[in-house]
Amino acid sequence: MQLTYLEAIRKGIWEEMERDPTVFCIGEDIGIYGGAFKVTDGFIDRFGPERVIDTPIAESAIVGAAFGAALTGMRPVAEFQFMDFIGCAFNQIVNMVAKAHYRWGAPAPMVIRGPSGGNVHGGPFHSQNPEMWFVHAPGLKVVCPASAYDAKGLIKASIRDNNPVIFFEHKYLYRRIKEEVPDEDYVVPLGKARIAREGRDLSIITYAAMVHLALEAADVLAKDGIEVEVVDLRTVSPLDREAIASTVRKTNKVILLHEDVRTGGLAGEVAAIINEEAFDDLDGPIVRITSQDSPVPFSPPQEEYFMPQLKDVVREARSLKAY
Amino acid sequence: MAKKHKPPVTSKSSSNGSKRNQSANPLRTYEIRDYRLEKPSFTVRQVRHGDEVRYEVKGDLSAPVPPIRESKYLSKAQCIEIYRWMLLNRKMETALENLYKQGKVVGGVYFGLGQEGCSCASAYALKPDEWLGPLIRNQGSLLVRGFPARDIMMQYMAKAGSPTKGRDASSHFGDHQQRNVVSPISTLGDLIPVLAGVALGARLQGKNIAVMTYIGDGGQSTGVTYEGLNFAAVQNLGLVLFVENNLWGYSTPADMQFRVKDLAERAIAYGIPGVIVDGTDPCQVYDAAHEACERARRGEGPTLIEAKMMRMKGHAIHDAAEYVPKPLFEYWKKRDCIARFENYLVNAKKWLTKDENAKLISEIDRQLEADRDFAVSSPMPEPASAAGGTYCEPGCHQVKAKYGTPKVSVTKSSATTPKQREAAVHLK
Repeated sequence: MQLTYLEAIRKGIWEEMERDPTVFCIGEDIGIYGGAFKVTDGFIDRFGPERVIDTPIAESAIVGAAFGAALTGMRPVAEFQFMDFIGCAFNQIVNMVAKAHYRWGAPAPMVIRGPSGGNVHGGPFHSQNPEMWFVHAPGLKVVCPASAYDAKGLIKASIRDNNPVIFFEHKYLYRRIKEEVPDEDYVVPLGKARIAREGRDLSIITYAAMVHLALEAADVLAKDGIEVEVVDLRTVSPLDREAIASTVRKTNKVILLHEDVRTGGLAGEVAAIINEEAFDDLDGPIVRITSQDSPVPFSPPQEEYFMPQLKDVVREARSLKAY
Repeated sequence: MAKKHKPPVTSKSSSNGSKRNQSANPLRTYEIRDYRLEKPSFTVRQVRHGDEVRYEVKGDLSAPVPPIRESKYLSKAQCIEIYRWMLLNRKMETALENLYKQGKVVGGVYFGLGQEGCSCASAYALKPDEWLGPLIRNQGSLLVRGFPARDIMMQYMAKAGSPTKGRDASSHFGDHQQRNVVSPISTLGDLIPVLAGVALGARLQGKNIAVMTYIGDGGQSTGVTYEGLNFAAVQNLGLVLFVENNLWGYSTPADMQFRVKDLAERAIAYGIPGVIVDGTDPCQVYDAAHEACERARRGEGPTLIEAKMMRMKGHAIHDAAEYVPKPLFEYWKKRDCIARFENYLVNAKKWLTKDENAKLISEIDRQLEADRDFAVSSPMPEPASAAGGTYCEPGCHQVKAKYGTPKVSVTKSSATTPKQREAAVHLK
């Protein structure tokens, strides 16, 4: 079945609610309204208001209540209207939930999901990529799917996981990509990267919407005879160290690309892993392409300047190939 | 005690005890049930004395100590059991203070001195399959939930055998399998939405349970307190929130935390019942807790209970609390919950003879001595035991519905493509 990225996520949650009566949804405007982006559209009609719970505008309460329900053996799926607002619940997530299993052995099978990312002219509070706040909090898993197939398989794996999973849905992809998604039940395992395109000359390691930019750049570069390998990390915590090392061993040159800002972004961590696992395999400097270190600007020309563009990736790839 | 509030007048709300005014009087009235037998009234203010700014107390501190209020529900045996928990609570903390002085405690010690009656009598109202989330001073609640004193001692001494295996201190532990206790964290108010979520989980599994947690006069200032209690109110969840007004949030007096006369008045704003009890009277605490728990079990929603008392030590053992005006200590020392309850059981009710009381006390002493010796002689954790357990790995926990598989009913509506009406459509 041809599904958009959004429909794939929706179908994944729907199937899990059909399959497992302990799964329920909680969040703002998710019931009759179906959520700001309509991911849970129709859920309340199918599963009833008991399992599709509209909450007050209270992000800490949403996370706290999800955690409490998880302690009784439920598997809550908590929606954040925009992942930018997750800062409101930061303490619940990093201090209450993330530390629970280490401190007192309490599993927290819960998913916190919602739209993140820019390129939609949403301005500083509707465009952020806050994944690194949570990558830095041990105890959480952080997932950033790039394709519709992965989005469905990863949301299902996240719901079935016994750990708290922060699931970033890139809102630029919601209705832009459409692909064949199997109708049957399948999961994409957490913590496993995939090769989105094979290549031998250099690797671009990336995730979320930037996977598509990398693939576009690979098409352009292929015309020049530069064969780019694109690695889609899919899960950014825990990272697939083996996949990172093996692509570097294969191509010996690597670009780290993400939409998140530069300082403290995932590229720094991936560069350190390459240093630890495959330093001797490098034939050139590790190149970072990221957004600039600033809030996400609103005006379209400014946002374009802020974010990595096709020309940036192509230019850096050519330069690295020639190194 | 009736409280008067300003208009508007149009609401028909009654769940929070508001009385619909039948007359043309535009004032609405609300009821806050007050179990107390005395209503102390004093304020603490910052006052300059020459070069120094100090706290000063104003008000009448000469009133005689009131009697214990007869419980509507507690039997003789139950009263004695609560008294025993209170004694164990206090004596365990005294033992911890001594261990600290001997250098055996890692970090500080937090005391519930003067608040044992509130911790123990409140937790006593819960059933075994119900849930509790304690704060740092509710070590008595943990004892009532079935943790031995040695567990708490080992937490303070960071021992390998502590409930968190050395990974966290003090009352910061829980048990989601048997004792149904949610571990607190250091920030305040965060347990409130979590306990509400526990009640939500149980309700989805077909059972209305009572869940209990605490917040202080200081902690109630946090935003998550509002979020959690409001969520519980809107969802009609069986949360019993004890607001332990012990007059001090670290060094800041209650008068600088809030403007309302009584924190129970906050309940009005949530649309839920508010109750005031004397936190040094275990019978009042229990009765209010029991009624709130019964309400929760009937599916009628949350209750806010303000328990008034005083923190009789500093914030933790390092804090001599010299900022507290001495007359306040003197006033509340006369209202010591254990002395009052002992007097009630031994002299007023004659439910305990002096010999029986002495025997009970010496049994606790003997038990605590054994617990202390066990905790002291138990090993520290191996350094490498800091590793592992950050994640729940396959095979480490089986997650299953605690109160039974939720009964679900689905309609025939199918997983069709979401409608193309998009709210956030401008973001594309």
